[in-house]
Amino acid sequence: MPQSYQAMLALTVPLSLGLAALASAFGLGRAVSAAMDAIARQPEAGGQIQTAMIIGCALIEALTIYVLVIAFVLQGKIGG
Amino acid sequence: MAVEHAVVGQLAEHAAHTSSESGGIPELPNLISVLSERFHEVPAVAFLHHWENLVFSCIVALALCLIAWRHARTPAMIPRGGQNVLELLVESIDTFVRSVIGKAGRQHTPFIGTLFLYIWFINLSGLIPGMKSSTSSLNTTLGLALVVFCYVQWVRLATLGPLGYLDHMAGSPRLTNPWLLPIMIPVHLLLFGLELIGEFIKPISLSLRLGFNVFAEDVLLAVLVGLGISAGAALHLPFGVPIQFFVIPLVLIFSTVQALVFSLLSSVYIALMLPHTEHH
Repeated sequence: MPQSYQAMLALTVPLSLGLAALASAFGLGRAVSAAMDAIARQPEAGGQIQTAMIIGCALIEALTIYVLVIAFVLQGKIGG
Repeated sequence: MAVEHAVVGQLAEHAAHTSSESGGIPELPNLISVLSERFHEVPAVAFLHHWENLVFSCIVALALCLIAWRHARTPAMIPRGGQNVLELLVESIDTFVRSVIGKAGRQHTPFIGTLFLYIWFINLSGLIPGMKSSTSSLNTTLGLALVVFCYVQWVRLATLGPLGYLDHMAGSPRLTNPWLLPIMIPVHLLLFGLELIGEFIKPISLSLRLGFNVFAEDVLLAVLVGLGISAGAALHLPFGVPIQFFVIPLVLIFSTVQALVFSLLSSVYIALMLPHTEHH
């Protein structure tokens, strides 16, 4: 384990970003695949399904953005 | 060659200066920050710099008022030109709100429509060189979320009345069987507590989502511009390589989507306020 807090920050901030990106990729993949199945089943509802998919993706993406902003704030503390 | 280096050096220095101001997070320069760097002793410029976000959001509000005034001043029966565009916007927002809230949604369309157009135009105005999106700061988005919070609580009080308001929050104890009521009281109290916490979380999550998304877009653009300037200096060009143009479609899409999500969630919260008695 690194001794100084800066080294610890430098280790964990990129890791946390990667973890958030991984989780977000899983969630978005499920949402988009469900939307594609629905459109394939009923092409005439395509517009509504697309709108709902975009809104769902925005809500899932918001959680990743929270992590990104914390990462920005913390990376300013690395490097004294 | 020396002139190019000097120009690029000045650009990089300005970018570094603005970034060191905001704690290491790079930001693109806008009109007010450029002015305040040169003339920061002048009180008017210091005032503008202090209220930077308000000034930019007021500019957007004035622009919206001007557009509406110019095109909707004398409405014609057969719309042409600008009036056509405005009617298209209003009609699509009306359909959207009514699809979420139901037939009674028409009275809420002005509020949701104003919210959507205001946030959308503020987000897009950040892309104009020299301007900044006010929604990148949590102050603006928290103000907007508080407006939505107050409006939603007012609508609920107005439709249900004060007793119905508390009743709705507690999970409708008025509808439970009177024999079961003594046992159900802890459940209703728990529901009341949970809903109370939920009511406060909603504006917080709305403001954080919008603010952080727009802030992240701004920072992305600034970082890419910085990279482009370094690349331009390395290739001995008198300007920076415009890498940020590849990201601008993404920024456009996300700005629109975030405005849409904000207004959609606001209309969903209004729709939740209305009594749903076929629940039990």
